[in-house]
Amino acid sequence: METIAAFLEGPFWYFSAAVFVVGVVGRLALALSLGSSKSLSVPRGSASAGAVRAVFSRFVPRRDFYRRIRLEVIAGYAFHVGLFVLLFFAAPHVEFYKEYILGFGWPTMPRWAFIVVSEIAFAGLIVLWLRRLLHPVSRKLSDAGDHIGSILIFFVMLTGCLALGEDHESLRLIHLFLAQLLLIYFPFSSLMHTFTFVFSRGYIGAGFAHHGVKA
Amino acid sequence: MPVDMNVAQAFMEQVQEMGKMEVPSKLSDQERVETAKQVIRDGINAQLAIDLEACVHCGLCAEACHFYLASKDPKHTPIRKLDLMKRMYRRERSPARWLYRLFVKDVTIDDLNEWEELVYDSCTVCMRCSLICPMGINIGGGVAVMRAAMRTADLMPVEMRLVGQEQAEKGTIFGVGSEQFVQTLEELRKTGLKIPLDEPEADILVLSAVTDIVLFKDTLVSTIKIMNHIGAKWTFSSQGYESANFGYMTGDQEWQCAASKRVYDAAVACGAKTVIVAECGHSYPTLRWAGAELMGKPLPFEVLAPSEFLGREIQAGRLKVKPIGKQAKFTFHDPCKIGRIGGVVDAPRVVLDALGVDLTETEPHGVENLCCGGGGGNFLITRALPLRLKVFELKMKQFDDTGAEEVVTSCDSCMMNIMAGTMAHQWPKPTHSLMDLVGHHLA
Repeated sequence: METIAAFLEGPFWYFSAAVFVVGVVGRLALALSLGSSKSLSVPRGSASAGAVRAVFSRFVPRRDFYRRIRLEVIAGYAFHVGLFVLLFFAAPHVEFYKEYILGFGWPTMPRWAFIVVSEIAFAGLIVLWLRRLLHPVSRKLSDAGDHIGSILIFFVMLTGCLALGEDHESLRLIHLFLAQLLLIYFPFSSLMHTFTFVFSRGYIGAGFAHHGVKA
Repeated sequence: MPVDMNVAQAFMEQVQEMGKMEVPSKLSDQERVETAKQVIRDGINAQLAIDLEACVHCGLCAEACHFYLASKDPKHTPIRKLDLMKRMYRRERSPARWLYRLFVKDVTIDDLNEWEELVYDSCTVCMRCSLICPMGINIGGGVAVMRAAMRTADLMPVEMRLVGQEQAEKGTIFGVGSEQFVQTLEELRKTGLKIPLDEPEADILVLSAVTDIVLFKDTLVSTIKIMNHIGAKWTFSSQGYESANFGYMTGDQEWQCAASKRVYDAAVACGAKTVIVAECGHSYPTLRWAGAELMGKPLPFEVLAPSEFLGREIQAGRLKVKPIGKQAKFTFHDPCKIGRIGGVVDAPRVVLDALGVDLTETEPHGVENLCCGGGGGNFLITRALPLRLKVFELKMKQFDDTGAEEVVTSCDSCMMNIMAGTMAHQWPKPTHSLMDLVGHHLA
């Protein structure tokens, strides 16, 4: 067990973190390096302001659309906010960041909050995944990569919950191993939207704003 | 005033005849695939690459698409129209292409044949899908690249191909060229209208459109009356008069550039400070937003949509109209190329307010308005008519829900599409051009 722990907390951690960082930065850099032509038309509004606005305004769907996608919006928020809170405020995670990455920590959430947030995040993830499987549109669009991403995240979260009791070192190591697999898988998958959404929203917001449209 | 439905019927039959023609391609299947792939590959810029990386395949864009809402067929999901582009990106441009090539299929002629319907018949490039997308993916921009690729591979609806070629090679559309335009003006002069043509100097160059000559002549007359009413120093040009640009709609940049250049040269020749396009939806973004890129420099004149021009003149007090009154209820249909893409949303409402009409808006309207299904050249595609009519049922319901008795819009494509729907569904509500409505109520 100690050998496995040393491997996961040592070389494999550095390897997975390196794949994640190099992969994400490389993929973003290559996409952005393709360049875009600068518009020569006289703008009706500020593209920069439109870009910034779109990055934030897209967190809330327009009223007419919201009526059609209510379930997806609620499930999406439950999963994403839940995952964010777990990732950055669960005590073991903060401890990990302090020891292996940053050298400092911050206040964490109590155990009861962890359980509540986990349940919310799980509910969101399951609803989104079921929709992906059952809705004719998302079923047709989804590829193996999308399902691998969903399954990996599900098991990372599940093992994280199981490891919460800190009774079994093996559970913690399984959770760590799956999280590291997720880090390796991340740059090759649509999980990249975690970073690309800022740019894609910015681009569309700038384009619409140039035409005088708030989008 | 509402168009003569017999004339409209005859025009649509002429277009339908065109759809029956066969225009064989000189390209082999292999050449088609290679040329299409090349255009797609070259068309993927940073924005599209980021967009393709950002898509999580949620399919929410379907809920904004009039074609999906009408058909409920997942193949009409907007982002799926970029599937071939995504495959090309992954296999040839993505940093992980060495990995993707192992399991992402290459583009084949069968794929291209299938995609022709998806990027032409069932997409009007209305950009509504980009409003709902949580990632803000520019699906319309991607479809424009796909159209360019299909065009170079000779895979496009025969009507659009024929009309595009005709405009590029002969400078005519549906057989209407400079000669017919000048003849039309001569006939109108006989009614007593003062029509400046090819003036050596003018502040405003006014464009027309083929549809105004063959279908909506009242709109042309109204345009002339309005220009004379405000006392502007304006002119038509016998060389640069056509607003329609089938290069823009088909995705052929050479055609697009040639058509825009004719207008550009005409405007520069008379020193126009303003160019007013006709009520021809796509012509506004073609010149206003893409014109400068095509010419390689900022345009030396401003470009106005008709509704934008009317709104501005009313607000400046130069255009005075008689109130129509509240005896009839109206609703306004925002053309997607002028509203959502063009950014002209408030101006038509300023005009309708000045006309004092009883206006009830559709839900949604303005930037979020649902496309009528006729934009992007779709109104020309005969084989797409059944799907287009299903889309029109959505519009019809929206119009009916307002309780309005008459519809106003400011786009010939929308007008023709609404008329086609009107005839097919025996829908009794007349549709007006905004320009024409103003022209008939000048103070």
